[in-house]
Amino acid sequence: MRVMENKPSYLIFMWILLLFCPLISAQGALKTLKTLKTLEPLKAPLLIDTQAIDTKASVTQTQFTQLVQQARGQSVYFYAWGGDPQVNRYLQWVAQRVNTLYAINMQHVKLAQTSDAVSRVLAEASAGNTTAGQVDLLWINGLNFATMAQNNLLEAQWLGLLPNFALTNPDQNPAVTMDFGMPTNGMEAPWGKAALTFYYDSAHTSSPPKTLPALLRWSKLNPGRFTYAKPPDFLGLSFLKYALIILSQQQEPAILAQLYEPPTAQSQALVLAPLWQFLDQLHPYLWRKGQYFLSNGASIRRLVDDSELTLGFTFSGGDIPGAVERFELPLSIKSYAMKDGSLSNVHFVTIPFNAQHKAAAKVVANFLMSPEAQAKKQQPSNWGDRTVLDLSMLSPEQQLMFHPSKRHPSALPANNSSPSLSEPHPSWNAVITTQWEKRYGAKQ
Amino acid sequence: MIIQPSFFTRWVSLSPRILISLLLVPVAAGLLGLILPAFGWLPALGENTINLRGFAAFFHTPGWTNMLGLSFFTSFISTLFAVILSILILGNYFNSRLLGHIQRILGPILVIPHAAAAIAIGFLIAPSGLIMRLFSPWLSGAELPPDVLLPNDPYGLSIILGLTLKELPFILLMALAAMQQNEIKQLINRQYKMALSLGYYPFTAFCKAVLPSLYPFMRLPIYAILAYSSASIEIPLILGPNSPPTLAVAVMQWFNDVDLSLRIKASAGALIQIALTLSVLLTWRLLEQCVKRFGFSTFTNGRRQYGDLCWKILTHTTTFLVLFFIVLALLGLVLWSFAGFWPFPNAYPDQLVSLHWNSALQQLPQTITNTVLVGITATAIALFFTLFALEAEQQHQTQLGSAASLMVYLPLLVPNVAFLFGIVWVKELLGVKAVFSAVVLGHLLFVMPYMFLSLAISYRKLDLRYAKVAASLGCSPFKVFYAVKLPQLLPPMLFSCALGLAVSFGQYLPTLLLGGGRINTLTTEAVAIASGASRRLSAVYVIIQILLPVVGFILAWLIPKLIFRPRQ
Repeated sequence: MRVMENKPSYLIFMWILLLFCPLISAQGALKTLKTLKTLEPLKAPLLIDTQAIDTKASVTQTQFTQLVQQARGQSVYFYAWGGDPQVNRYLQWVAQRVNTLYAINMQHVKLAQTSDAVSRVLAEASAGNTTAGQVDLLWINGLNFATMAQNNLLEAQWLGLLPNFALTNPDQNPAVTMDFGMPTNGMEAPWGKAALTFYYDSAHTSSPPKTLPALLRWSKLNPGRFTYAKPPDFLGLSFLKYALIILSQQQEPAILAQLYEPPTAQSQALVLAPLWQFLDQLHPYLWRKGQYFLSNGASIRRLVDDSELTLGFTFSGGDIPGAVERFELPLSIKSYAMKDGSLSNVHFVTIPFNAQHKAAAKVVANFLMSPEAQAKKQQPSNWGDRTVLDLSMLSPEQQLMFHPSKRHPSALPANNSSPSLSEPHPSWNAVITTQWEKRYGAKQ
Repeated sequence: MIIQPSFFTRWVSLSPRILISLLLVPVAAGLLGLILPAFGWLPALGENTINLRGFAAFFHTPGWTNMLGLSFFTSFISTLFAVILSILILGNYFNSRLLGHIQRILGPILVIPHAAAAIAIGFLIAPSGLIMRLFSPWLSGAELPPDVLLPNDPYGLSIILGLTLKELPFILLMALAAMQQNEIKQLINRQYKMALSLGYYPFTAFCKAVLPSLYPFMRLPIYAILAYSSASIEIPLILGPNSPPTLAVAVMQWFNDVDLSLRIKASAGALIQIALTLSVLLTWRLLEQCVKRFGFSTFTNGRRQYGDLCWKILTHTTTFLVLFFIVLALLGLVLWSFAGFWPFPNAYPDQLVSLHWNSALQQLPQTITNTVLVGITATAIALFFTLFALEAEQQHQTQLGSAASLMVYLPLLVPNVAFLFGIVWVKELLGVKAVFSAVVLGHLLFVMPYMFLSLAISYRKLDLRYAKVAASLGCSPFKVFYAVKLPQLLPPMLFSCALGLAVSFGQYLPTLLLGGGRINTLTTEAVAIASGASRRLSAVYVIIQILLPVVGFILAWLIPKLIFRPRQ
């Protein structure tokens, strides 16, 4: 009886709550408008007074102060892949920090794959939603960025507003303004650096392959103990691109250069043929004889833990010691980088053109590039993702934050040198995926 | 009964229509939002012409016949297995106390979300899974996990296993619920006793004398299961092959693909999914007809037994195997959630740690609040309309027509990949920003049918003499409803609320699509975690996913006991 009496009143309460939600956010918008109006006359004189040499920096500083003012009290919906508990925990810490520092309420929206958010923004664009998009900030790189940039789905020219961007020393480090060979044009802020790192279970093999040809020989000796995820999975594609670059290096320099241009029918046939030859030899010795490929590259780690695989690879090498600490990989795991090269890239955060809380999103993006956040991210126990900052731009105290504590036995050895292989032009992703699908995809 | 028109009675007679339109309008809008893009009309991409490009693209997909075949056979065969198993269990344990035990054990299985069940089964049957560990290395000789193709086998055997285990409790419980309705109970008991006294062996007696009267009550649940499993996402996604996957999974992936022009192909695929679901249903109908036609002589030939002992042994073994499998799956989950290092042939982890629980519990409070809030709101709204719609039936002394009952079932019969993407499209088109209410509406589509079906049985069984006495003493219809009927209905109402909550907790696609990822529930988190690397954390999420609805059912069972406790 009592239960029933309460229900209608509860319902009324819910509906009232629902009705009020839009009002509350409308109030927030009004407040922002008011702040804007009061701010502009105040800040204008400052712009004129500044010295010419510092103009750029102080304009940035002023504009950024304005942004911080606007952002106060806003919510930021940060759409980021949510499959890794370590990354999720790091983002929780970020949320706490931006709340303390800027009174921004950041929500991590956990994606199973980044393309979900891309298609969401497109759906909004197609429905004419140009001001109230749900995605405020998005973790992105490569093909997803290329797609969004081509469809004009990104906010333009905002990176220059962020003071911490200068700490990446962009003039000396072109990598932070190039996403898979495409210029970012100020549409995304660099967040971290990654390189393809391999790891193996030393309980089951003592001599892991250090080069691509050695990988083939090793797989023949240890059949079924290695695999890669099928494209378009990010990790799987990365492995294929690593193989493609190494195989192209063995040919004329002109062929390798083709990889950094948009693919043509001719260059496709020329460049990809050695890759398919290599894979035709490798596949029979892969996990499940190459008849089934994982859809998700992250699952490789689980299979290494299960001893189904002996050799795995990841794009966040710092992740491996953390996984051992959490019992998710055995103590016998060792990391290493391939001697013939490691595919490397930078990952970014971006703001869709229709984001509802752009000011707060920019402030969060700036915080993500701060020495504090970058140092925390680089610690293996937090995430182990390499920083995009140029440490020479930092003060000695700040540099100290980046120095590693004791090296974990499963971490990448410090002396492990490996040439860095840069990402091919992003359009190769689609070509490799379709061609792979045609050859190895739909077979029974 | 003459009823004075009042606010209450007018409201009551309106509510069936509101209930039907709450279900019908979104589904219809969703289908419209699907049909237009399927025929090439997607203004967002500058596609303004009606054409068949989407279908052409679909039929050029490598392996599309395999996709269709996989969806068709996994759903058909798993349902067939589940129905045969249910008949074996019902027939062999008919009128025995074992049936009650089985019902009590399988009941909780019903509320395990599909994603959770799939993850648990995957843990079990993988080459490095618990079963293999139990038999290694002493029996199998394996020091390393064998390299065999399970789960994710190309024939869909793992999907069939998963679906059968999930469907069996549903069919069984639906059949048992029908058998407990008074008139059916009397009818089948009479016929069964008669058959026994004529010398039929028990299982043969059940098949020949009880099943023909019982089956019509199982038909609708079976159809719902056929429709569901032919378009289900979670189980094929986690246990199925991926080159190619089942049709529904492929359609979902195309919808989510970075290449936006795939949307047109995805919409066409979703329409083909509807056709596929229809053809599965029609094939089942054909099977029914065949059994009826060719089985008729067998039913009436007077033969008293067909190896009843063999059937009995078979039933004992399969029931035992099913229960063993379920217990092992749950045990595996618990072990993984506490496991430290756990190298392969060991059947038990090296050490037990609470690390995974700690780290999950740190992240979970917000998620659990979201899950419960959405669940309670959807359930409350559904309960509200369901009660009034059923009251309307009683006041007008009619049952919902067959067309109307079909509409209640509609969201369960139309593949949800088909209409949910359409709803998102329409929602964007109308510029609706609300997230919470959209998710609640999405959940309502699935919560309402289940609650209506579960509550309808008790409401229709209600002894109307009390209500008549109250009315003759001058009580208004509102007071009769409120003071006489509702207290009598409290236990089934609470049960149906627990069911509604469980259904809501398990929704993956509606939450993900309508919430735009802004509302994370346990299920969306569990699927996201399952895509990552941590099996241990995944196990924690699955266990919480199972516990939450169980808490609901325990409350539903406990509250009436506390309220109706005999006074000292």
